[in-house]
Amino acid sequence: MTVMAKNSPATARSHLASASRFVLNLPFAYVGTALLLLFAYFTRPMLLSPLLLLLIVRQAAPLGIAVIGQSICMRVLSLDLSIGGVVVAVSYILTSGALPFSGPVLIAICILFGLLVGATNAFFITRMRASSVIVTLAMAMILTGVVISLGQFHAPGDAPEVLKFIGQKRLGIFPIALFVWLAVVIPAALFLRFSVFGRYVDAIGANPNAAWASGIPYVRVVTIVHILSSLFAVFSGLLLVGFVGVGSMDIGGDLALNSLAAVILGGITFGGGKGGVLGPAMAAFMLTFSFNLLTSLGLGEPGKLMIQGAIIAVAAMIYASRRNK
Amino acid sequence: MSWLNILRFPGRSGLGIVPIGVPIVMFIFISFASPNFLNVQNLSNVNAQIAALLIVALGQMIVAICGGIDLSVGSVLSLTSAIIVSVDPALAVPLALLAGLVVGVVNGVGVTIFAVHPLVMTLATLTFLQGLALLILPVPGGDVPDYLEAMVDFSFLGLPAAFFWCLVFATAAAVVLRSTRFGLRIFAVGANEDNAARNGVNVVLHRISSYVLCSFGGVMAGLFLSARVASADATMGAHYGLESVTAIALGGVLLAGGIGSVPGVIAGTIALGLMTNGMNLIGVSPFVRAAATGLLLLTAISLQPRKAIGA
Repeated sequence: MTVMAKNSPATARSHLASASRFVLNLPFAYVGTALLLLFAYFTRPMLLSPLLLLLIVRQAAPLGIAVIGQSICMRVLSLDLSIGGVVVAVSYILTSGALPFSGPVLIAICILFGLLVGATNAFFITRMRASSVIVTLAMAMILTGVVISLGQFHAPGDAPEVLKFIGQKRLGIFPIALFVWLAVVIPAALFLRFSVFGRYVDAIGANPNAAWASGIPYVRVVTIVHILSSLFAVFSGLLLVGFVGVGSMDIGGDLALNSLAAVILGGITFGGGKGGVLGPAMAAFMLTFSFNLLTSLGLGEPGKLMIQGAIIAVAAMIYASRRNK
Repeated sequence: MSWLNILRFPGRSGLGIVPIGVPIVMFIFISFASPNFLNVQNLSNVNAQIAALLIVALGQMIVAICGGIDLSVGSVLSLTSAIIVSVDPALAVPLALLAGLVVGVVNGVGVTIFAVHPLVMTLATLTFLQGLALLILPVPGGDVPDYLEAMVDFSFLGLPAAFFWCLVFATAAAVVLRSTRFGLRIFAVGANEDNAARNGVNVVLHRISSYVLCSFGGVMAGLFLSARVASADATMGAHYGLESVTAIALGGVLLAGGIGSVPGVIAGTIALGLMTNGMNLIGVSPFVRAAATGLLLLTAISLQPRKAIGA
């Protein structure tokens, strides 16, 4: 009976239809990565060598970690544009020598700093009820401005050895940064999927008013989300500083925008109440791979910006119109 | 008593204590802190510095009243600058306006018909247009058409050209908001989209038009700024998107929509301009100024609380 059913053309077609629906419902990042890899296979096959791919993964790791924070922010209908500012501040704390401490102590200070920035953002967003866009933008302006003016007294220098080791060395052929990324992504994914907190996040994203009415600790969840986002930004900054090896004033400047792009490509929309952690991670890889591919194709900055903008716009339109059906 | 009540509950103009008070306090403070502030030359400098920002901010206000936000307007400014030095002088202005129209329609269609969040949509166009501008004009330079330079370089009745640019656009925006059906309807759409739709307002059309008007603001500011510095630069407008949002937030425009006024936006722009000018005169580093602007923005936004939490 089942064998017959499988062979009949009607069910075959419905299998095909459900398979294609499954693919279409996947976050754009998966399809996009597959298309990009295919394109690279025909035009720049050397990009697909394991060594280069792993290098690209290492390059994608800081973005991949920052994206987790941005994605949970967007899932509770908020945004964090202060990521770039936090990363610049972290790079300054670590490399300028303005604070005369050893590497591990500086890292602890960075984490405390992240807590403070996240809590400040959350205070303005939840207590003062200000728009998260404005608050986090203002925060980024303040952090960048303060760091650059402090840079006149202590210029940024070398990164602590611990971070250089994590950012640059590899185990076998696998870069340590990849393990750090996995060690952050997998627990984050499991936590958001199975914990009560994760359910709260979903509920608030799906319908804030309903979540409020059913007694979900709305303010507390949004506060925690923003603190988490700043902490992920700090981790991303630690990894980035280690990877680059020296601090600078424009490190991570495009992180806020790219993380936003990656979250959208990773299948999270405002008010969807849906979305995972793996989609955005895949999107972080996809974006980094596409930058490398475009560079190897000889496209300069203008071409890159145009394609990046077009990708974000098209992906966002596809999602939003799919959701509205 | 009654005027105090108006200040506390300003209605849909948003002209409360903060938007009016901040520039006045700043003006008094800076004129004490720096003796050079009050001379005519410096005040006309302030006017020239804020003219482009005011034009952009007026466009941003129209989008914000209609319930959106347009971050791409800075890139429109840069693109305009790149276009006018790269094409035939006779075609420069029409082509720049056409570009503004296309950008506005794309933003508007993305936000209304595809229902993309305005921040995401305009961030995408911001990135795309910045790339396009750099593609057209990779290095700063070029010759701005003479007739444009003449339009920013005259003075009439002892007042500089920048003052008349401000006057024209502020008046136009005020007339659109106060005395046209369009103005009334964008307030309605921004205040409550569903109610506006049920009362027969074409929400989609008004949203798209608001984005187009905002892009036109970017084009006009681009013409003004390029003509004033007599040279083009494809990254000229990079800061204008955020600064215009700062200016309207300081001016009491509610970013959630439905509240805002031209006098408020003028006050907000002046506050921002005075901050820049005052700190220049006192000799503060421009980076500290960026941080101070951020603080000012945080303060201003905290003083106009909303109901919703989030973006």
